[in-house]
Amino acid sequence: MTLPNSRFDADLVRLGAHHLEAFAAANADVLLAVLTSGDGFEVASYPPNQTMTPKIAAMSSSMQALSEALTREAGLAKNRNVIIETDSGTVLILGLAGTQRLSLAIVAKSGELLGKLLWASRNLCKKLETSLQK
Amino acid sequence: MSIASELKIVFTGPMGAGKTTAITAVSDFPPVSTEMQNNDQQSFAKESTTVALDLGQIGLGDGTVVRLYGTPGQERFSFMWEIVGRGSMGVILLLDGTSPTLLADLKTYTEVFRRIAPDQPFVVGVGRTRPDDYTQIDACLRVIESLQFSAPVFSVDVRKREDVLLLIETLLATLEVSQPEFAT
Repeated sequence: MTLPNSRFDADLVRLGAHHLEAFAAANADVLLAVLTSGDGFEVASYPPNQTMTPKIAAMSSSMQALSEALTREAGLAKNRNVIIETDSGTVLILGLAGTQRLSLAIVAKSGELLGKLLWASRNLCKKLETSLQK
Repeated sequence: MSIASELKIVFTGPMGAGKTTAITAVSDFPPVSTEMQNNDQQSFAKESTTVALDLGQIGLGDGTVVRLYGTPGQERFSFMWEIVGRGSMGVILLLDGTSPTLLADLKTYTEVFRRIAPDQPFVVGVGRTRPDDYTQIDACLRVIESLQFSAPVFSVDVRKREDVLLLIETLLATLEVSQPEFAT
């Protein structure tokens, strides 16, 4: 297991990597899972050390921030997630509750049903939130 | 003569140059902001940083509406430079006069945004300069000349509305002269 980012507490990075690895093992069509800081840095990812991960981390944090700005302007409650569907796959971006403003980006092949992926991803968020509060 | 009724201009520059502050100083409404906690204190020690864009707006006396877009400063968000810069009618480049990378930043952002918004007017604002010291301004002008284009360079305090308006008005005046098709 690698620790990709020394900016963050080592326990946070280890914990994130552990949960992401377990999530990917249980969801075979997941290509990449990245735990990202609010300002676009990779905290942990699975699989680790992928070339595209830093870009996905930065882009997902931008999209999360934009979606928050949009829902704020629209007078809606805090947004829960961003869903991007393509012909060949899905990207989910989910915000984690808590003060660290972390978010989770999931990239999956189209074989995964969106509802199942969303359900599993939300469960992962809850696990991460619970673990981080301890 | 006045500029066409709706314009998009872009504020860009490195992290900490004052893009969000500048847009906030002049916008007619509280800008749309995408500020997040800054975890990169080594690059610039400040609390928060823009991760997607800023969006403000200023109405001019003649009915022209100028939409003010701000980019993130860090290179890892360079994909946003392309998205935000596309279709802009001019670029205001803000720089930190105390930064050791002042001239390198000028060169980098100029080259990138000259590619994204070719042939659009460019105005440079240098902040945190000492009063009556034109060393950084002169150095910036030499770099711009070496890049074989021209752009006015001002010493500015982006917290002051009048300084930011000076940059915007200079940009619009340049636009009127260089691209009269946008004048009504």
